[in-house]
This record gives sequence, structure tokens and C-alpha cells, in this order.
Amino acid sequence: MNKAAMNNPASAASAAQESGEIRLVNVAKQFGNSYAVRDINLTIPHGSYCCLLGPSGCGKTTILRMIAGHETPTSGEVWIGDQMVVGKPPVERGTAMMFQSYALFPHLSILDNVAFYLKMRNVGKEERRSQAEEMLRRVQLHHLKDRMPAQLSGGQQQRVALARSLITNPKVLLLDEPLSALDEFLRLRMRGELKSLQDELGITFVHVTHTQPEAIALADMVVVMDTGRIDQADTANMIFDRPKTPYVARFMGGQNVLTGKVVRAGNEPMRLKSASGVIIETVPASFNMGDNVSVSIRRDRIGFARKSQASTEAINELSGTIIATEYQGSYVKVTVDVGDGEPFVANVSDDIYFRDPADVGDAVTMSWKPENVHILNKVDTGEAGASFLDDSH
Amino acid sequence: MSASHSYGSRPWTFYALALLFTLFVIFLYGPMIAVLILSFQGPSASLVFPLRDPSLMWFDELFNPRRVGDVSGAFGRSLPLALIVMVLTVLISVTAGFAFRRRFKGATAIFYMAIASLIVPGLVLSIGILVTFRYLGLSANWYTSGLGAHLSWALPFGLLIMFAILGRLSPSYEEAAYDLGASKWRTVKDVVVPIVFPGMIAVALFGFTLSYDEFPRSWLTVGTKNTLPLEIWTMTTNVTSPALYALGTVTTVVSFIVIAIALGSIVIIQRKRSRGK
Repeated sequence: MNKAAMNNPASAASAAQESGEIRLVNVAKQFGNSYAVRDINLTIPHGSYCCLLGPSGCGKTTILRMIAGHETPTSGEVWIGDQMVVGKPPVERGTAMMFQSYALFPHLSILDNVAFYLKMRNVGKEERRSQAEEMLRRVQLHHLKDRMPAQLSGGQQQRVALARSLITNPKVLLLDEPLSALDEFLRLRMRGELKSLQDELGITFVHVTHTQPEAIALADMVVVMDTGRIDQADTANMIFDRPKTPYVARFMGGQNVLTGKVVRAGNEPMRLKSASGVIIETVPASFNMGDNVSVSIRRDRIGFARKSQASTEAINELSGTIIATEYQGSYVKVTVDVGDGEPFVANVSDDIYFRDPADVGDAVTMSWKPENVHILNKVDTGEAGASFLDDSH
Repeated sequence: MSASHSYGSRPWTFYALALLFTLFVIFLYGPMIAVLILSFQGPSASLVFPLRDPSLMWFDELFNPRRVGDVSGAFGRSLPLALIVMVLTVLISVTAGFAFRRRFKGATAIFYMAIASLIVPGLVLSIGILVTFRYLGLSANWYTSGLGAHLSWALPFGLLIMFAILGRLSPSYEEAAYDLGASKWRTVKDVVVPIVFPGMIAVALFGFTLSYDEFPRSWLTVGTKNTLPLEIWTMTTNVTSPALYALGTVTTVVSFIVIAIALGSIVIIQRKRSRGK
């Protein structure tokens, strides 16, 4: 750091020092003989809101804990700003973590909980109390400062936990499933509060969640994890609209995945033929005849009609029998059995659906436009994600 | 809910269990109350009901050891012994409990070795300790061999209680403290100990009462001078006055005071936590 200060203007040096950019380089974590995560390479830009998203057991919490310093990577490097932080305690990293259950100390009042960090730094009683009160005012809980944690509601406890973390003046705030303990109403409200807090503070937030809408609503950067590895790290919009792999497409939930062999290539629109004979036309793409290609089609980009006598060689069209309908307010989720493998789902907007409501057992035809067919980078193997974690290394 | 559609009637098992509980209460408190009443027996010195001319003379006799045994001397040994056992049990159980939280090699074997002393008959242990002390040329005393014998009894209980308490203590409290810059020592002092403090009181209570009441492990290990349970036992064989009942009453009251102090402090701590300061 001293070198940087000599070579650069002072302001640049202090900016680098304050940077909350997180870089994980070839990080792996092994528990016993199996890997929790492996080959993790990820850069989270300074000041961004990043969500680590994945099913339970995918390793997202392990990554968070390695950034926080509560877990040591088996190999690889963790950088925060210009510091290699492996082996350093959280306070030296400039991180603060908010735990899933908040971990408020049950024997201390709200005020003493928030002042705990200052007490550990031997700040005098008056000074730390006034700073903690100031922080409590910011989260609008000053009136509860003498209460004990058990007397607070879930949302209030969360705000205390936030205040207790923020009083350390962190560069990076790490949140481990912060909203999972709250009911639906409070969850949406706290979600909004987290987002505006991050905007206001301008520090890096890393937020672990298994809830897709939460990640999409909050994050500048969504990191979708499969068992122990990162499948895609991108903006929320790209993750939802342009998933790279069948796993991401399925996990984000808004997509149908189809796979076929290339039957027309070159400069014309590419055509695939699926095992069950469906012809899928996409935009031109650089694949060779006979290649297996997987595509995803958004559920809300699908046309929907009662089955007519369709031409035998219909393109971008799929027929089947409705097995479930679910009213969602602005749209109806229609699940259709198309004969092979996983059902096809169309999210039909309510005005179209209710013009002629189709019910379970009705035969329907679904269609889509070539420009709405998104080509995936990986061929669908039918599995959620290739498992590689238990092989011996 | 049930097929009979009646809301009021209780199943027969309720009455069976209620009877069982009643018998339990009678067997537990009946003798205690009888002893309590008869300790106020008058000068007739009758050891059985009825109570005639109630007086406090047998309490007086108790602390005036002309005819009775050395009760106050025995109490003067039992009380410090129980307090030492209590303090050591708390210290050792708490530190061992923390050690066992991280699974170290051989943890299970050590745990079972510690717990095994619960199933060794107390009298056998007592004889073994005496023989060993003789062999080593040491004299048995309440604060050496007696203390060891009592610890072999109180420690396993303390350990089991601490395991139950620390097992429920979420590691995230310690991690949160570490996250907020607390050193290992301050994490223990400012976070862990205050959280598990009610459990430590429970361990202390067990340590005290197990030692204060202990007979079989005291029998041959306390040396020439008796602890209170041994003194009482001796008195039952050679004292035939209600002073025996008076002694029973006094020791019971002491036990109740100890329990009341322990439970009272737990209640106060928990109230403080739930109501705020």
C-alpha cells in the first residue's frame, strides 16, 4: 500500500484502499474428501449488489463464509480491494457479515449489541453508546434501544443486525439468506430497504439466497451456482433472459428447454429437429449439420391456442394435453404434457386465456417466434447439473 | 377429533398417571413432612406420632454436642467440601464442554471414560480409593481422597449438562463476535459465558448437592472425621432422640436454600433478558 501511495496521487491510493472489489481466484474448499466448491473464479465489482443464487448445498454459503473469513479456502486466493485476505480476521478485511439467524447476542440490549464492535475496540462507554444510538437512529429503531433481542419482531431484529454490522464501517457487507426468516410481507419490504441501503452506502453487498425473484429484484450481478461451481455470473436481465446453460434456464424457472439435432445450417435460419419430431427454427447460428443443440424459450413468449388440425411439418409449434393450470393474477401458468420428458409450460396472459379458457385434459397447440428461441452454450443432459464434487482428487 | 365426539371426558390413562403422580408426591414429601413435624417433639422424646408439647429443644441439642455426635463439625466439613466440588465441577465441565465442541481425535473414547464412573458402584470406588491411598502411604482426608471421590461422581453429571447446553449454543454467536473484532478470550468472556450462564448455575447446583448428599463415595474416603451424611447415618444407629429429626429438618432446609438460590438466579437472569434492563 505504501508503494501505491508513493507512485500515485494520494486520493487514488486511498480509493484503492477503500475498494470493496472482491476477487476469488481458483478458490476451492474441501471438507474431508469431498469438495464444497471448486474452481471458483469470480470478480465482484466495487459497490455492486451481488446475489449468490443456488439450491441448498450448492456451496453459495461456503463462498460467502470464505469472503468473510469464517472459512479458510483449501486452495486459491481471496482478494478484497488490493489485499490478499486469506488468513486475515474479518475486521482487517473490511467485511461485516449478517448471519442468517441474525445471531444477536441474547444477553445484551439492542444498544449494547450495536455497540459491541466499539466495545471490542476499547472505545469509551459514552462514546460508543452515542455512536450506537446514532446508528440505531439510521435504522429507525432508536426508541427500542433498551429492549432485549427476544422482544423484537423478525424485521426489527434484522435491522438491529444490520446496524451492528454497519457500525464497523465495512467495505463489503455479507448477507447470509437475510430474508429467509421473515414472512412474505416483511420480506418484500426488507428487500426494498436492503436495496436502497446499498444505493445509499455505495459499498459492495454480497447476498446469499435460494430464491430467484429475490436475486433478480436486488442484484446488479447474479451468480448462479450449481453443485459447487458457478454456472453463470451476469446481470439479472441476462441470467433471466439469456441463460447460458440448461441448468440456469431451468433453475431461474421462466424457461422451457428443448434439445434437437441441427437439420439446417449455414446462412439461413438454423433448424433443429427434436427426438419427438418438433422442428425448431432459430436465428442463423454457427453450428454444423447433425450437432446436438439445446435452446430455451421463455414461458411468456409462447403463443397458445386450442389444437386445430395442424400441418404435419409445422415449425416452432408443439401440441399436447393440459395437465395443470394455475391462475397467477396477471397471467395463467399452463402446464402441457407433450408426450416426451418434461412438461412444457406457457405463461398465458390473463386476457388471452380467459377469452376461451382451456382446462385440464384439453388439447392445445403452442407456438413461438424464431427470435424468441435462445441458444444455450451447453447441450442438455437432462440432469440438474453434472455432479463432479465427489470424485476423488 | 376423536371418534367419540365428546370434548369433556378424559381417557383412563389420565387417571392412572394422576394416581401414579399422587403416590410419587406422597412418597417424596410425606416422610419429609413427617420428619419436619416430629423434629418439634417435646421432652417426651418419643420418636413416633403424636406430637406432644412442641418445642425447639432438639434443635438446641443438635448444636450443643453433648449427647449427639459432632453435627456442627460434620457440617463444617460437608459445606466447604460441597463448595469446592461445586467450583471445580463448573470449571472443569465448562472447559471440557468447550473442548468437546470441536471434534478432536479420541473425543468419544474420552467422553465414555468420563461417563463410566456413573455406573461404577460408589462403595467399590470408595474402597478402591482407600486401598490406593494406603498403598501410596497417604492418609485419607475429606479434602484429598474425599474430594476426588466426590468429583468422580459430580463431574460426569456436570459434563452431561454442559454438553446439552453447549450443543444448543449456535456457533453463529461466536462467529458474530469474531466478525465484530472480538478476540478469543473476549468472545468467551463477553458472549459465550453470559449466554450459557444459566446452564453453569445448573451445573453448580448439581455439583453442590451431589457432594453434600453423598454417602457411598464418602464412606471410606473422608478419613477419621465424618461428613454430614455419614454423621447422620452414625446417629441413626446410636442416637434415639428426635434430635435426629431436627438434623433432618436442618439439612433439608439447607438443601432447599441452595436450590432456591440457584433457581432464583436463573429466573432473575431470564427476566432481565426478556424485559430489558
